[in-house]
Amino acid sequence: MNNPVINAVAARKRLIGFVILIIFFAFIPAWVKSPYYIDLVIMVMINAGLAMTFVMMLRTGLISLAVAAFWGIGAYASAMLAMHAHLSFWACLPLSVVITALVALIAGYVIIRSAGFTFVIMTTVIGMLFVVAVGNIGSMGGYNGVSSIPAPDTLNFGALGKVVFDSKVDFFYLGLIIFVVIILVINAFYSSWAGRAWNAIGLNPRLAQSMGVNVFRYRLTSFVVGCALAGLLGSFYAHYQTFIIPTAFNLFPKTIYIQVFAVLGGVGFATLGPIVGAAALSFFNEAFSGYPQWAIIIVGALVLVVVVFLPKGLLSLWEVPGRIRGWRQAQAIKRGAEAIPDAVEPLGLDTEGGER
Amino acid sequence: MTAETTTAPAGAAAAGAAATTAAGEVLLRVEEVSKHFGGLVAVDHLSFEVRKGEILGIIGPNGAGKSTILGVISGFYPATAGKVFFQDKDITKLKTHQIVALGIGRQFQTSTLFMSLPVTDNVFYGFHLDYKTAIWKRLLRWPSARREEREFRRRGEEILDRMGLGAVKDEITKNLPHGYQRILGICIALAQEPTLLLLDEPMTGMNETEIDTMLELVRGIRDSGVTIAMIEHNMTAVMSLCDRIVVVDHGQKIAEGLPQQIQDNEQVIEAYLGKDEMLLDE
Repeated sequence: MNNPVINAVAARKRLIGFVILIIFFAFIPAWVKSPYYIDLVIMVMINAGLAMTFVMMLRTGLISLAVAAFWGIGAYASAMLAMHAHLSFWACLPLSVVITALVALIAGYVIIRSAGFTFVIMTTVIGMLFVVAVGNIGSMGGYNGVSSIPAPDTLNFGALGKVVFDSKVDFFYLGLIIFVVIILVINAFYSSWAGRAWNAIGLNPRLAQSMGVNVFRYRLTSFVVGCALAGLLGSFYAHYQTFIIPTAFNLFPKTIYIQVFAVLGGVGFATLGPIVGAAALSFFNEAFSGYPQWAIIIVGALVLVVVVFLPKGLLSLWEVPGRIRGWRQAQAIKRGAEAIPDAVEPLGLDTEGGER
Repeated sequence: MTAETTTAPAGAAAAGAAATTAAGEVLLRVEEVSKHFGGLVAVDHLSFEVRKGEILGIIGPNGAGKSTILGVISGFYPATAGKVFFQDKDITKLKTHQIVALGIGRQFQTSTLFMSLPVTDNVFYGFHLDYKTAIWKRLLRWPSARREEREFRRRGEEILDRMGLGAVKDEITKNLPHGYQRILGICIALAQEPTLLLLDEPMTGMNETEIDTMLELVRGIRDSGVTIAMIEHNMTAVMSLCDRIVVVDHGQKIAEGLPQQIQDNEQVIEAYLGKDEMLLDE
């Protein structure tokens, strides 16, 4: 678990790291010319964003299996507004966020009361129901999906020039801006008392309650914010792909993949974990794409290795040398203690297992 | 349920105690509260009062329903029947976080702490209700947000120093000895600046030295103006610490009074030793 101690030095380091990461992302199109790889990076950003919302809800003890469904709600809301109401993307984007948030608020109000196992089941139901419902509504395209969703309107900055969304690189920068906004929003919540209340609930709901934390309200906040951000990504995805089908937003494999991204990077790392997880899995997939019949098995095995040997995720790799050193020290102390028994006086502080 | 008649009727006991504790004003009133878990009657028409400025001890044999009553007061369990009043306000139906906001802090029987966090953060989280700054101000590290943060840190460290945990404030909580964890539980409750503090067996599993420290700390908290209601098994501690004692058995109050009165009460002795042994003695 991230240590939420507000440490000015650590906060500045994190900020610098974040800026470097964003600059690195911003220069990707300068090195990578192939539209295929640009597309891959855009998908990594979308997947990482979705995994971040999953981690955010997980922090309050809500295991949501409806991440992909709310992503889909955002995508479909945006597509429908653009196709039927003929609204510009720039109006669809905020509207779809509002719609997703409202759906999450209503659904969350009902299902969060029973956090825990029931919540998991209820989100599973939402995740499956969304696909079936959309698939059976003719005016929403049914199982055939919606095609030719219009690209964002040209942005005219007058003397500064204009941005026409006609290439993957334009979408890449739009996606990057949305990605940065999501990271900022998530960090704003984490660094505020809302985030601390989330942490408290995740660590120990009973204690959080007796600190005056309204557990239901804060869980609902995290659910609504998480789903709204997924909706934002959905809207972008719909207008980027120009074509969406309901099964793309299915529980399996989409939500499962989102969880794998989060776990692979490390759920203790709120924003960097999902980025590393999504990037690593895309990298694995690409590396073994030459052997399609083996790819899934190899990637699955690699994920398993990470989960077993690095339970805190890929980002805990840097802890490994310290852990080995600690283990060696413990071994040395053990050997020393065996050699000279009772050399060390017990401190007498630990009273665990004392008289009851 | 072997419903024994109350030795001293509630009125008489209250009158007797009022004479000695200078008629303190009633802070918390538990009125005829019952709590059933399915068919099990954990608390059965229990009534008692906590007066301002006192340390009230709630004792009784294992399974007498002592922790349940604290749970009902702090809103963890809804009462099956009866009412709880705090400062003349009916709090029976309120949720835990609302009751905390009114000024009833609680420490748990088992070590309920944020084990993976440093000690200071545990207390720091306890300031949840005092938080005022808006989220966007925190994100931009607005001066007022930073001031608030520093203020909470300072207050948290003050509490830790006062309770003798100043030296271990940067330790990870799970590495603390058991006695310290107990004290930390009280520190968290104190962060909310409660009017009434509920302690659930604060001295369980402690050695003599630690119990002495705890006695001092609890007295110190009382002297700072916090009323305390505590459950405790350690009789020596209870007798030396509490101003008044309520004895509960089978969910019912069997006696109430000053420590001396309780010690001499036959029904209390019977409840603790069991009826059969009493008969053998006779």
